[in-house]
Amino acid sequence: MADGVTDRDAKRDAPSPWARLWEPLRTQKAHLTTGAAFLAVSSACAGGIPRAVSAASNALNRGDRSVAVTASLVIAALAAVGAWARVESRVRIFNAGRDAEYLLRERLLSSLHRLGPSFYRRMSPGEIMSRATNDLAQVRLLVGFGALNVVNTLFAYAVNIPMMFARNAKLAALALLPFPFFILLTQAFAKVLFERSRAAQEALGAMSDRVQRVLSGMRVVRAYGVDGVELKGFDADTQRSLEANLALARLRGSMFPILGLGAALSSLVVVWYGARTIITEPGAFSVGDILAFQGHVALVAWPTIAMGYLLSIVQRGKVSIMRVAEVLDATPDIDDARAVPVDPEALKGALRVEGLRYEIEGRAVLDGVSLEVPAGGSLAVVGRTGAGKSVLVRLLARALPTPEGAVFLDDRDVTTVPLATLRAVVGVAQQEPFLFSTTVARNVAFAEPDPDAPETVARVRAALREAELLDEIDRTPDGIYTIVGERGVQLSGGQKQRVALARALLTAPRVLLLDDPLSAVDARTEAAILDAIDRVSKGRTLVLVTHRVAAAARCDRVVVLDEGKVVESGTHDALVKRGGLYARMAERQSIEAELEAL
Amino acid sequence: MSEPKAKPKTGAEAEKAFHEESGLGKVYDRRLLARTWGFVRPYALPLVVALSLMPVSAELLVTQPKLLRRVVDEGVARGDLGVVRDVSMLLGAVMLTEFALRFTISYLLQVVGQRAMADLRHEVFRFLLGQRMAFFDRQPVGRLVTRATNDVDALGELFASGAVTAVGDLYTLGRIIVAMVAFSPRLSLLTFAVVPPLLLVVELIRRRARVAFREIRTRTARLNSYLNEQVTGVAVVQAYGQEARCQGEFREINQAYRDANFLAIRYDALLYAVVEAFSSLCVASMLFWGARAIGAPAPAASIGVVVAFVLYIQRFFEPLRELSSKYTIMQSAMAGAERIFGLLDNPEPHAAVSEGATAIESDAAVSFESVSFGYGPDRPVLRDVSFSVARGRMVALVGHTGAGKTTVVSLLQRLYERDAGVIRLDGEDIRALDPRELRRRVVVVPQDVLLFPGDVLANVALGDESPDEARVQRVCDAVGLGPMLASRGLGLRAEVGDRGANFSVGERQLIALARALYRDPEVLVLDEATASLDSESERVVQAALATALEGRTSMVIAHRLSTIRKADEILVFHRGVVAERGTHASLLAQGGIYARLHRLQLQAEAEAKGGALVDAVL
Repeated sequence: MADGVTDRDAKRDAPSPWARLWEPLRTQKAHLTTGAAFLAVSSACAGGIPRAVSAASNALNRGDRSVAVTASLVIAALAAVGAWARVESRVRIFNAGRDAEYLLRERLLSSLHRLGPSFYRRMSPGEIMSRATNDLAQVRLLVGFGALNVVNTLFAYAVNIPMMFARNAKLAALALLPFPFFILLTQAFAKVLFERSRAAQEALGAMSDRVQRVLSGMRVVRAYGVDGVELKGFDADTQRSLEANLALARLRGSMFPILGLGAALSSLVVVWYGARTIITEPGAFSVGDILAFQGHVALVAWPTIAMGYLLSIVQRGKVSIMRVAEVLDATPDIDDARAVPVDPEALKGALRVEGLRYEIEGRAVLDGVSLEVPAGGSLAVVGRTGAGKSVLVRLLARALPTPEGAVFLDDRDVTTVPLATLRAVVGVAQQEPFLFSTTVARNVAFAEPDPDAPETVARVRAALREAELLDEIDRTPDGIYTIVGERGVQLSGGQKQRVALARALLTAPRVLLLDDPLSAVDARTEAAILDAIDRVSKGRTLVLVTHRVAAAARCDRVVVLDEGKVVESGTHDALVKRGGLYARMAERQSIEAELEAL
Repeated sequence: MSEPKAKPKTGAEAEKAFHEESGLGKVYDRRLLARTWGFVRPYALPLVVALSLMPVSAELLVTQPKLLRRVVDEGVARGDLGVVRDVSMLLGAVMLTEFALRFTISYLLQVVGQRAMADLRHEVFRFLLGQRMAFFDRQPVGRLVTRATNDVDALGELFASGAVTAVGDLYTLGRIIVAMVAFSPRLSLLTFAVVPPLLLVVELIRRRARVAFREIRTRTARLNSYLNEQVTGVAVVQAYGQEARCQGEFREINQAYRDANFLAIRYDALLYAVVEAFSSLCVASMLFWGARAIGAPAPAASIGVVVAFVLYIQRFFEPLRELSSKYTIMQSAMAGAERIFGLLDNPEPHAAVSEGATAIESDAAVSFESVSFGYGPDRPVLRDVSFSVARGRMVALVGHTGAGKTTVVSLLQRLYERDAGVIRLDGEDIRALDPRELRRRVVVVPQDVLLFPGDVLANVALGDESPDEARVQRVCDAVGLGPMLASRGLGLRAEVGDRGANFSVGERQLIALARALYRDPEVLVLDEATASLDSESERVVQAALATALEGRTSMVIAHRLSTIRKADEILVFHRGVVAERGTHASLLAQGGIYARLHRLQLQAEAEAKGGALVDAVL
């Protein structure tokens, strides 16, 4: 299987997590360096302030006016310069984190655009989104917050600790004694904090899953009177969420007081021991020194706490970058590896399929399928649900990994046609169309370079008219500028299909593949649309997958697929006469038409 | 709900209008707060305790610099080691108590918030369960889920980190000012000279930061929804070769998101740096004026007071930084409250049990008398439908898709209220019955089986809080589910995975059937599944149906000829009316709609078998 190969390849070449982490950091080298320089300035200024405060208050105590005035002016100057440097350092380093996130996200999308069905079978949209949001946020935190705090801690230590030791080594040692424990404590806190916030998230998730399930299954819930049980279950979910949140609150509530208490006790040691020293060894220490020490302790405390936090950020960042890399490193299963450049104009649009076999999870969904459509000709593919019609169409367009030597476009193996060329020449409309959350007009003009140009809008309207949707859309308040899709107006299945059809018609490709594009459209509208398709596909190759005989009858030839094999093939008339599966379908549908007319 | 807005002129404008979500509104809304208070009131005690501890905690905070001053002025200055030791120990004790109080306050507030929000959630969910079906036809499920989860969370933040703690912060600020003024009014005045300009600058930055954060929220939503669409719609992007174009669009969105964050980073850094700088400037200002006063007749302050002031100034600026983020929390809490109460204020309850409805003597188990119904004024579904089902008989409802068969069942269970006519169960107007009782007596086996998380036992005994295991076993065996599960080594305790994915279609249908039989209803309604099963499961399900329908009053929305032929009477629905009725033979002879439906079904069944046959031949 293609999946297995992709996985192995990704693993063999994968760099280590550390190398991976280095990549986003490296792209931001310039910003991180200047940011660090500003941090140095900011740390120096911050460290200077306690000294100046000490000098000023001692001078005040002595009654030395000029020193006190100078020192207070120095404080003001240091504060101003320090603030400026602080802003600059944070802007540079945090921006670097955002920038790294930005670059990774862009690479992520370009990778997602290249990947094919085997990848999307393996990784759900929710999973991909979680990597694009949560995991990228972790990486950003590492590059921004992480880098800032590593450097900040280094500078804070480098500036403050020597000053403290220079003043009084014994007190410095005493005051700094609790700090190593801080790091360990914060790290432990951060780990549990992460676990508990995940638990709280999960509890909320379970709750919203239940609401979702109950609301969408309201009929059954009501018919079986399950509402009481569900309400109880919901209350239990709520209780679990409440407990998880309170556990988190206990941790959060105690974490900062405990860490703050540590810093406070450290400054208490300074007060008590400092005051004692002043009394017992006059001249060795001063009240100003107590203030200075307190300032230094405060300046070292936060970076130390951040350090402990950082260790857990690195841990999570490492996991996250690997999860992101899983998407970045995945190998596409449909690519241009065998491509031979070809002039799109030279392609006439004749299709030939020879002994096509395709397996999904070891089961052959298509087996020995052969068929031919001359350039400009039309072919209907009919058959029951699960017969393999959609797979066939996707293989023709290489929306699935088409095997080599089985599908030919103008006698060229499609796997050798560059994908860009193939997609310009072959247009597809799906049975379950995907509409983007934008206007109807932009959905139709999806492949147009300038969707707002008046000329394009005119063509969009024409395409919508051909798809028998224009009148309906024009009756809505916003017309073709109605927002549709996930977050817009919900269109009916048939309306969606017609938007998708208009999209395919607008591009007017040489080969048009329509995968049961009208299954949710009523018969009368369908007939009108088929007329339009006839007009549009004049001179183009058309492959129409349909479950309606009336639609198939319009095509030059019909093939009937059943359980992955071609069981009947010929013109509509010939197949009706043959009395096989197709003839039975035709009979059934004529009765349906009669009923419809009653 | 949605406000009327001007018709967008171009696609680009429509897009813009669509993606710019309405900004956050007010911070304070008395009506909403009063409603919220209703949920908080039961927890008034812990709330009051927390609130009354706040001034105590503030007092302890304010005491610390005072104690430090004593260490300096009474201990150090006088060389008294005893005072140094005693006051230092007292200071330590005060610190410990203050931290303990801080923890207690924040935890109590969390308890209040979480419990009140749990009650609110309960209320929202209960409200949702009480709405009529038509309500759910209009409201997207996702939106309702958000009301019960995220919106409630946003409101709960009011306690966790919002308004309540802000009140405490403001009190602390005031208390610090009072303490400083008490020490030295002049020095305080000189110190606080920098505060008004600071407030001005902070307010300026904060105002811009708020705009920036709002911008980030909209752009995050835009970024994620675009990316999500690219992932789910990747096949379309690839089929139309629009990768480069989409990449370009995404770059713009991604850039806009990044740049909004750049801006927020700058404001955030500015806010912190400015507050910190001003804190130092305050100290500088105090020292400067203190120095200028040297030699003046009255000394400005003792060294101990200077030390205390330095500490006060540090404490003063801490809460100032937090106030800005609390403002935003308040805003989103109010927005959440508005949405939640907006939902609760527009109920569409079930139709009430009506007292005046009449009961008649009847030998029909079910009867419809001139019933009409539409899902809206412009969507009539049933018109003047009358029929009855005699006790112990089986009636088949046939007709083309959309003819109104399923609606008949919905009306009979009173999931929707008929517009005109009378529906009777055993002679009683169903409007006079408690819906719960009605649904115990009339049980429906729907086409799409809905399984719940839990085990098979809980799914069969759905809605029964103390399931009768022996009875579950009996009905499971009766429908052939028991042996089917046993062949896979499973029993009644087998866990049901997400939406029953670990069971085959046939097994799921049998579970649904067992579920209905467990309730032993007076009337069994069966919406026959159209999806074809493999032949072995088909045989088991058919046998199970025969068992289930044996001697029971039943209505079957029938698709299989074998089922239809067995019916005592066949009702042919066509465009919302009963177009034909009779037995299989009489209807065939009539040569109308039923005759055609019958031929259709024959064809469909032949196709299904024929397909397999053709396959075998090849």
